[in-house]
Amino acid sequence: MKTKLKHRLRHGMAMTIPALALATALAGCATAPPKSDTADYQAYQQLNDPLEPTNRVFFKVNNTLDRYVMKPVAEGYVHITTQGIRNHVGDFTSNIGEPARMLNFMAEGHPTDAGTSLVRFLVNSTVGIGGIFDPASSLGYPETDTDFGLTLASWDVPPGPYLYLPAFGPSGVRDVWTYPFDWFATPMEAAPASAALSDFGYSETGIHLVNTRAGLLGTIDQINATALDPYATFRSLYRQSRASQLQQIQQRDTRTWPDWYHQPAK
Amino acid sequence: MHFRRFILGAIASAPMLTVTVCAAQALSPNTAKSFISQSGDKLVGIVNSNASESQKATELRGLVNQIVAVDQVGDYVLGRYKNVATPGQQQQFQTLFHQLLSYNITYQIKAYQGVTFQVNSATPQGDDVLVDTTVTAPDKAPADVGWVVEESAGQPKIIDVIVAGTSLRITTRNDYAGVITDNGGQVSALLNAMQSQISKISAAQ
Repeated sequence: MKTKLKHRLRHGMAMTIPALALATALAGCATAPPKSDTADYQAYQQLNDPLEPTNRVFFKVNNTLDRYVMKPVAEGYVHITTQGIRNHVGDFTSNIGEPARMLNFMAEGHPTDAGTSLVRFLVNSTVGIGGIFDPASSLGYPETDTDFGLTLASWDVPPGPYLYLPAFGPSGVRDVWTYPFDWFATPMEAAPASAALSDFGYSETGIHLVNTRAGLLGTIDQINATALDPYATFRSLYRQSRASQLQQIQQRDTRTWPDWYHQPAK
Repeated sequence: MHFRRFILGAIASAPMLTVTVCAAQALSPNTAKSFISQSGDKLVGIVNSNASESQKATELRGLVNQIVAVDQVGDYVLGRYKNVATPGQQQQFQTLFHQLLSYNITYQIKAYQGVTFQVNSATPQGDDVLVDTTVTAPDKAPADVGWVVEESAGQPKIIDVIVAGTSLRITTRNDYAGVITDNGGQVSALLNAMQSQISKISAAQ
């Protein structure tokens, strides 16, 4: 048990610790405008990106890595696959994330959504042949996304300063905890530790990254080509997207009883 | 997954980038829906036509000026820096913004050959109406795109594009504000960056 926990810690935290440690070590802070300059000071506070100089360094590093590694690999992947295959790969990697979504929905107080994630995982892992197909959506259980960062947000944990992580990209002091949590909640980590499972986990992570990057080939090029400040653009898109996801979760008023149970009279 | 969807949708809808901050009259959902339906058909007709790229670009610029409140979008995008900019800078900004919008639209024509457009529903939001659509392009996942329509000078105009909860006008405003704040609050830096971007894109075409 102890060995298993160590194994999980080693692999899970390996995803996050280096990024955070590097960010801390190289941390450079943006200079806040004087409080007397009200408009600028308010804008600075609203921006909430005190590590902007460091974040921009990592943004450049990631762009360089992307240009010479991820993008060529993704282009090669697109060349040898069809959109249909890429959709199935997306379904497969998404299915592996369903247990984590189930736990997060439970923690957010959305038992019906948690049940949907559970049904999706069970149906797609079996009838859907390991998640390659998504019959659960056809049965009325569509994919609904959440993660640990959104769970913390639903507990009123503030987003904290913006972070741009090496390799991982846009995040924040609250959202960064999604990586270790969701890693621990994958089926591979829940099963008894083995070298084969670890290799499978790494392969799954790799194919997920390549498949996701392939889906963004044209769009990232377009943002880089049309935005005046791509860093600020990605930061804005990320924050708006997270705020929207949180709003959707908070506004979701899903019932907690099945179809066959009569709705209680109000 | 959501991040990918919103980002794809944001790009898919970029040709319609727009905004407004002016007072407006209430618009009926049916009018807004009909307006978006007609505008979408025109857009798809131009993108999928057999005309040359330059001809398509010219037609698209004309269409965007008809259906988008570009000046108002520009004012919103400049945001609080409008108070800092001189009248000359404001005028120059609007000119560059129109040009940049046109170039950005032209840049994306090829990527959306074969695009289809379906209007789903219309929901009032205060004086505005949000029209939900699905935009589909070959080899791309379908994107749900919301168009915010407002009545301006008696005509419906698109004032914002919403994709998975992200607003293109807010994104663009933050993009431009990033340039200004990184250059000590100087609006002239934004104007230079816009000019430089226009030169770069036009040289590449």
